[in-house]
Amino acid sequence: MTVAITGLGVVSAFGIGTEALWSGLAAGASGIRRIASFDARSFPTTVAGEVPVECAPILDRDIEPSAARDRKVGFGLAAAAEAWRSAGCGDGERRASLVVALGLEQAFLEDLLPIFDADRRSIAWESAPRTPPVLYRSPVDLCAREIHAMLDLRGPTIVNASACAASTLAISHAASLIERGAAEVVVCGGADSMVNPLGLGGMCRLGAPSPRDELDACRPFDRQRDGLVIGEGAAMFVVEDLARAVARGARPLATILGWGSTQDGYRATAPRPDGSAARIAMQRAIARSGLPASAIGYINAHGTGTPLNDPAECLAIRGAFETRVAVSSIKGAVGHAMAAAGAIELAASLLAFERDLLPGTANHTQLDPECDVDVIGPTPRPARVDAVLSNSFGFGGQNASIVIGRPA
Amino acid sequence: MKRAVAISRTAAVSAFGAATHGLADALAHGTALAGLPDDVPLAQPRALKMMSRAAYLAARCLASLRSGRPLEAAGYYLGVGASGGSLDDFMALLAESLVDGKLSLAQFGTRGLAACHPLLAFQLMNNFTLCHGAILEHVSGPNSALFSRGAGTVAAIAEAVHAVETGECEIAITGGADAPTHPATLAELARDGFVDRGLCAADAVGLLELEPAVGNAIVIEGCATASGRGRTVAAAITDAVSRVTRDFDVIVIAPWGPPAEDALRSFAGATPIISTRLLGDSLAATPALALIAAHDLLVHTPGRALVLSLGVDGDPAAISVARGPA
Repeated sequence: MTVAITGLGVVSAFGIGTEALWSGLAAGASGIRRIASFDARSFPTTVAGEVPVECAPILDRDIEPSAARDRKVGFGLAAAAEAWRSAGCGDGERRASLVVALGLEQAFLEDLLPIFDADRRSIAWESAPRTPPVLYRSPVDLCAREIHAMLDLRGPTIVNASACAASTLAISHAASLIERGAAEVVVCGGADSMVNPLGLGGMCRLGAPSPRDELDACRPFDRQRDGLVIGEGAAMFVVEDLARAVARGARPLATILGWGSTQDGYRATAPRPDGSAARIAMQRAIARSGLPASAIGYINAHGTGTPLNDPAECLAIRGAFETRVAVSSIKGAVGHAMAAAGAIELAASLLAFERDLLPGTANHTQLDPECDVDVIGPTPRPARVDAVLSNSFGFGGQNASIVIGRPA
Repeated sequence: MKRAVAISRTAAVSAFGAATHGLADALAHGTALAGLPDDVPLAQPRALKMMSRAAYLAARCLASLRSGRPLEAAGYYLGVGASGGSLDDFMALLAESLVDGKLSLAQFGTRGLAACHPLLAFQLMNNFTLCHGAILEHVSGPNSALFSRGAGTVAAIAEAVHAVETGECEIAITGGADAPTHPATLAELARDGFVDRGLCAADAVGLLELEPAVGNAIVIEGCATASGRGRTVAAAITDAVSRVTRDFDVIVIAPWGPPAEDALRSFAGATPIISTRLLGDSLAATPALALIAAHDLLVHTPGRALVLSLGVDGDPAAISVARGPA
């Protein structure tokens, strides 16, 4: 059985819609901007791959006001609606399963403060009203529930909570369900936003963002890289058996050929420096695809722009491939969308099939010798490739790789 | 070609303590007492600062599965619950973010952030319930952390079964871990009315080691999850069960709270039933504890057990497990 991607929807720093992402990347542009959704001036970093605030009223349906407070809910809904529409789905696809990657709960400081006793440094939970708008935090699966309801799906829902590897794992999970006959159609992908005070603050406390606080702060594989830029957004796909898709007249955008995952099992605060576990994830994905490694024409790297990730990933790539393969990271242009990153980056990778164009690496000007791979610079590279590998490596050491192919 | 998948070992920490042997009997006869499990320090207590309670319990269980053979190449698929970070850090962050009793983002961005532990985010990330144990035990195989309201844990178990079935790994660890006694989670359960309806939060973890079946093994025959949307709970349960088995000698139910228990008991009819509710409601851990109880039962009594889960979202899940020749 061949698994096909037949629908795609995206919300990213470039705005709403797949076309916005593809056009932005094709132009070699960047969506990184000063944070506008809240006053971040006192934070160590004030830039992000923030979805443009003018895109906020993006839904043509009402959702619970409390749910709308969690930005990833709106992003996930908009992306899922576009994916469903672009795949030409209808009542025949309502039995679809939903496999979606979501980030952690969004906590709302403003809800907690009214019940916070500053003298005792405690929260009086019992004094909290039991109904919204006091919410404290949004449930992890809130976005999934809203997507399920919006599309009126009848299949099971699975929420992947594997941090930055989550959406690549979710899409792989969806492909596996199709392959083994456990589902006919799956809506899958990821949605996340850390562009809120606690999300951004937590990342800053970890020391993950670049301290330079400039629009070109994230420089994957560059000699001057010093950290990531937070991003947000969503990408959702419709996947199904290729024969089923063709029979109903849907246009396949790509086929999902292989996937693999590993864990570093190393440290919470750093990736395994030799990249060995990441290499094995790539090798598993390639082996499952049935293709030789030489058939992979482009690698969409995890490429966070952090001092430790990029050289480890490059070692992994060099270990998995005997010849040099074009590599790029779009995180300099859209930021690190955490649980949604893998899905948005897979959506970006489809440029290779749709426009014979490999996305560039924004802000990359000077290759770090420790990142000795064929890095595509800021300008996209025209090329016709038939297979693409995309990597996602999560905080905590979860590694996921996926291989997609040009549809026949 | 698919391989039959057996449960080779189990580990749990629940209100009944850290044992899995005798769990089915204890649940059937209500002989064990409720209470929180004792703390046993991990080999690397330094790591504790970064751990949520669920992560700690999962790591402790994983360590007990490691004894005997290494788990480096093992797969690890876990159902996980809500975040459970340190409230002390969070309180300090809030306290330092106030100006004249009101939240100041300017203060938050400077003094507030500085008041909390730099690695607080690692306590909050849901996947770290899986990752901390994997790091301590150097588990490096295929993996996933699935958020669970019951069915998510069964989906994680299904992925582990599939990974062993297809040869993706020779050993897979799976199950669920949750700590709903965390004040934030407990407050949410109360706010949403679940506590009033009898839900009793209990911290727990249940892990199972899976490997290719050999001989007279206890085999997982099938796992299925279903959506409760647009139909009755009974119809959804029937759908999930019909996809894993038609015959069973006993049902081990894994409900979240009394309403879910009532629905599952209604489905069971006259079939002998064991419920995990004596352990309290351990959310993401509950289906794993039920599967462990089913395994414990089948060690002593051949036959087929059906594990049935129903979470507060109304999505049921089923696992068929049987003892017989591979």
